[in-house]
Amino acid sequence: MASTPTITIHVAGPLRTYCAGAAQLSVSAGTVSAALEDLERNQFALYRNLCDETGRLRRHLNVFVNSDNMRDLDGIDTMLAPGDVVTILPAVSGG
Amino acid sequence: MADRVILTIGTRKGVFVADAAKPRRSFALRGPFGPGVPVYSTLIDTRGTPRLYASSCNPFFGMKVLRSTDLGKSFKETKSAPAFPKEDGRALANIWSLEAGSGKKDLWCGVEPASLFKSHDGGDSWEMVPGISNHEHARKWQPGAGGLCMHTIIRDGNRVHLGISTGGHYLSEDGGDTFRASNGGVGAGFAPDPYPEFGQCVHKIARHDDAPDRLYMQNHGGWAEWTGPGGPRPDIGVLRSDDYGHSWRSIAKGLPSDFGFPILVHPHDADTVYVMPLDPATRSCPGSAPAVWRSENGGDSWSRLSRGLPKKQSYFTVQRDAMDIDRLMVPALYFGTTTGQLWIGREAGEQWDCLFDSLPPIHNVKVEVV
Repeated sequence: MASTPTITIHVAGPLRTYCAGAAQLSVSAGTVSAALEDLERNQFALYRNLCDETGRLRRHLNVFVNSDNMRDLDGIDTMLAPGDVVTILPAVSGG
Repeated sequence: MADRVILTIGTRKGVFVADAAKPRRSFALRGPFGPGVPVYSTLIDTRGTPRLYASSCNPFFGMKVLRSTDLGKSFKETKSAPAFPKEDGRALANIWSLEAGSGKKDLWCGVEPASLFKSHDGGDSWEMVPGISNHEHARKWQPGAGGLCMHTIIRDGNRVHLGISTGGHYLSEDGGDTFRASNGGVGAGFAPDPYPEFGQCVHKIARHDDAPDRLYMQNHGGWAEWTGPGGPRPDIGVLRSDDYGHSWRSIAKGLPSDFGFPILVHPHDADTVYVMPLDPATRSCPGSAPAVWRSENGGDSWSRLSRGLPKKQSYFTVQRDAMDIDRLMVPALYFGTTTGQLWIGREAGEQWDCLFDSLPPIHNVKVEVV
């Protein structure tokens, strides 16, 4: 039976205040969804910035697995491999 | 002895604070505070050591509540913001009103989608108030153009008045445990039934401590020309109640438009009420000439206050919480515009001056003397 991969979550600058200043978090998760659930359990203040009360990822955030936007993969069901880097960034905006 | 006039100015790009000595000759501006996101509600809590609060409506990372304990020299996030229970199925979309509660650290907060929350610790933790948030009507309310917002919270002993757009006026007489729709005489222009039980697009409600049975309401007017089912609905936009909000009657006669957003009562005279009539289509002042209108007889007649305001070619909107009045002996009014000007109406609105002319679009203006 394969073990749950350990991946890295890169925390965007404005969000580091919600996880004691950490720029990266190491999480054991097999999917993006599982990684968010881990944050809900262990980094709730950070999680609340990423997901609303219903558990849905906030609308104006993009999640990248390595360099790929998860929406071009399998969304929050995207599988993670050991050493993957998950980066959560606000969508670009202007005007 | 009170010695400073403090303004909180909620804008599209954070909250500003301005203050002045009592003569109000000039105001010093600080800010913006927060991460450059919209601020739709502020509160200057003068109970004990003054505290300033501001909602911070972050489109990326969700809603926050900011608090200042140094009269607006700095703000920090409270430990949490209102949030629906996970199983509720709703998610907080905006924070529209912050009001002081009965206990020293009690706060009330109206949000979008329209619901009410309370804090007992100055905004560090919040609980939903089920009597209105889970009211049998709650899932039937509809959003107006600004969203489905609970924008008005008025506490009067065991009575609590709420304004919801679009939901109408809801009244509790048991301290906020239970609420009922209380919209007798409040018209709606966007439904076949001109006087539904609930669902009206109430824009703002105001009252005065000296006349607790009396309430003034700016409702969504502008329906005099309606020719569809139910017929025209003239003058439904500015209303008055004399029975704690159980029934309402129009006081719009004499105004150039019954559409508008804010409504205020003079701090020392319950008969003196202020509105800012707007064209219902453009939501700017009729004739592109801004003016605040004042009644000194409870709405029986109105007069125009415009000295110092632009006389033409002015197309801003003043939003529902963007006008306030201070409590000095001869009070001053203040309004902020969607084009970023902050105006002061000295001598109770007789003379207007622009305090700041290039702020971001303004959603909210509150004033207190501390």
